[in-house]
Amino acid sequence: MIASILLSVGFLSACGVVLAFLIVLAERKILNYGPCTIDINDGERRLTVQGGSSLLSNLAEQQIFIPSACGGRGSCAYCKLRILDGAGAIGPVEQPHLTPEDRKEGRRLSCQVKVRSDLKIEIPKHLFSVKRYLGRAARKRPLTYDIVELTIDLVEPREMEFVAGQYVQLESPEYKGRESVMRAYSISSVPSARNRIQLMVRLVPNGICTTWVFEHLKEGQSLHLSGPYGEFHLSDTDAPILFIAGGSGMAPIWSMLQDMEEKGIRRKATYFFGAVTQKDLFLVDELKAMEQRLDWFTFVPALSNEPPGSGWSGERGLITEVLARHVPDTSAHEAYLCGSPGMIDAAIAVLKKGGMPESRIFYDKFA
Amino acid sequence: MKQSPSEKSLRRNLGPSKFSAEGFLGADPRPVDEIVADDLRTLERSGLSLQDLLRALRRAYRAARDALGAPVEIRPGVVAVFYESRGRIPSPFRDGGTFEKGEAVVTDLGSGRKLVLTEVGLALIERHGFFQGRGSRYRIEPAEAAEILGLK
Repeated sequence: MIASILLSVGFLSACGVVLAFLIVLAERKILNYGPCTIDINDGERRLTVQGGSSLLSNLAEQQIFIPSACGGRGSCAYCKLRILDGAGAIGPVEQPHLTPEDRKEGRRLSCQVKVRSDLKIEIPKHLFSVKRYLGRAARKRPLTYDIVELTIDLVEPREMEFVAGQYVQLESPEYKGRESVMRAYSISSVPSARNRIQLMVRLVPNGICTTWVFEHLKEGQSLHLSGPYGEFHLSDTDAPILFIAGGSGMAPIWSMLQDMEEKGIRRKATYFFGAVTQKDLFLVDELKAMEQRLDWFTFVPALSNEPPGSGWSGERGLITEVLARHVPDTSAHEAYLCGSPGMIDAAIAVLKKGGMPESRIFYDKFA
Repeated sequence: MKQSPSEKSLRRNLGPSKFSAEGFLGADPRPVDEIVADDLRTLERSGLSLQDLLRALRRAYRAARDALGAPVEIRPGVVAVFYESRGRIPSPFRDGGTFEKGEAVVTDLGSGRKLVLTEVGLALIERHGFFQGRGSRYRIEPAEAAEILGLK
């Protein structure tokens, strides 16, 4: 009886070992795709990689960082790239994320596309300068009750070249059972300060990264981030500018204004900043001082729910209403918007009603 | 109680993740289809259709979103405030699409009861009849929501 049990266990174990061996062999022989070439932007760059893993991870290994928030699980759909040749069939994970336009244009989730043959792909040029950085939290300065300015000293690499308006992805490590995540934050500091960047982080209830910044990140602590990302930046025209922002949407606009001052760009600019009450306002003294200093700049803060009789003598109402009152004709301007999708949608409607063509409206939607 | 592989995988997707610190199930031990069935029965007993409730929830969400953070009256004694948040969140059912983050908190000033509405939460109700598990910050109790929004 015992001998037969031992014989059965031995036989099953041997079968398991043989199967495992066959799987390893199959992986090496059958699934060995060998070296594959990834042609980027019609010959602009050519990478030779070992086939078998995802396009996203292959690119990251070659220091080309495509935005991704889910870590390659195919759920955030941030990592879409245009693949002109060699992508293979669309998998079930990708299906729900691809619009008819994506399919027509050949856009795919780079985390789900396996490199199994030579590929021809397109990558927006600005992503070539994205790097992953080791930084150090130099300072956390409260700007309001729910927004902090986070200053980060760059350690390795020591400098970041970016354009005012771009953003980085800050990585929060695992804490209290929460997964490590990456979240986007616009850079609020001026591009000339290359070895130190500043972000404005608003506390989101239950937000994984913002809770880490507010409650766990200590000054002096190391952290990781990647960037710079994004194509939100000042255009090269002389058109008068309307800046419109709310909350932490202040960040890229503040960076742009400081950059304009440093570079001596004297385009007429009016900044409409929306908040709910006075306790939601910040950098007002700095912006008022800038208004005094620069004859081309006007700052218009507006409060949508400030109690009557509070002493507030500035503008009242939704920022979009204030904008419409101040600039009924927007046809000669350019607009730069940063804030919640609701604010951006409403502002675009007002700007278009005032005569601004959509091609002159640039925005960084929190989306 | 046995758990089918699909239920197991669904519960994993609905749990805490890179996108949701607390997940969508709260402390609810019931299988997902049981949560859905219980809530639909509650709606039936209230004489309300899912569509009626969803329409009212969406109206409240939209009104708050349009007010850009200022409190807005949904009906006498009920106000909503929108809290912005950067980024998008995918459906935990893996059925496509990503949704704006940000939440509308609807408060019944008389009783202090609150509804926390999100774009993804409303999509889960619309697509799957899933009002989230008990204990989730974002769970909508159908009967309570109907009362707060003045549907009964």
